[in-house]
Amino acid sequence: MVNPSAREGAGPVYAELVREAAGGDRDAMERLLMRAQEVAYRFSLLVCGHPQDAEDVMQDALLKTYRYVSRIKEPEAFRTWLYTTVQNACRMKRRRHVGEPSHQISIEQGATSGDGEAGPVEVEGHTRPADQLVMDAWLSGRLRQALRALPPSYRMIVVLREMEGLSTREVAGVAGISEANVKTRLHRARVMLRQALEGV
Amino acid sequence: MSQDVNVECSAMLAGISAYLDGDLDATECQAIERHCRDCPRCAAVVEGLRETIGLCREAGSTPLPEPVRQRARASIERLLASEKPSET
Repeated sequence: MVNPSAREGAGPVYAELVREAAGGDRDAMERLLMRAQEVAYRFSLLVCGHPQDAEDVMQDALLKTYRYVSRIKEPEAFRTWLYTTVQNACRMKRRRHVGEPSHQISIEQGATSGDGEAGPVEVEGHTRPADQLVMDAWLSGRLRQALRALPPSYRMIVVLREMEGLSTREVAGVAGISEANVKTRLHRARVMLRQALEGV
Repeated sequence: MSQDVNVECSAMLAGISAYLDGDLDATECQAIERHCRDCPRCAAVVEGLRETIGLCREAGSTPLPEPVRQRARASIERLLASEKPSET
């Protein structure tokens, strides 16, 4: 089984699911809600780098998608709306973490000690320990580490375009920048990612 | 001469993402491929970026961990059950 979101041209598939769900198709609604949560999970981990927020962001995506379908106007715009909504949920979640360090952490690494060396971070209680192993198997540590080396705005472009399969136009809509700017950032991000991968 | 080569390499590298994304026309693609045949450094850059993109796309095609999917399914069931209209 593959991630159904990560396909070029998945936008029309989403739009069709939204229409069917809005028309009362329970199976379509379930599939749409599952995809919304999958998007939220991946975005939390890969773009925001906050695995401890993932479950809350998933819940937010679940509820907002359910409400979105009941007052749908533009099914074709759903995917852009979903990623924008998830991005906002991640931001809001961070704002609520008053007193937390502002730097980002990841699954296996992130707390920076006084000597500047990144060390392991205790995430038990936020992510279930059993999940840690499957998450490690889900995405190679090498790629996660390379992604972390990118500036957040570049990381988002790479994840949305390369991993989630959004079109350049959709990425521009989510990031709030022009399509030309998306292409420029994507190129720079690819080069940086390559360099990071070679250094890992 | 080497400056000409550097200028040519810079121009090639600037268009490399468009090339890999299939956004260039046939003439532009042929120019890049011709350059890479004569320039091992640029050829290595193209190949490296191609591999990087492939790695990302492969990762993006991987389904989420099953425990995460199970929790997501449970959340959906709870939501739909709570929103179910009363039959009485």
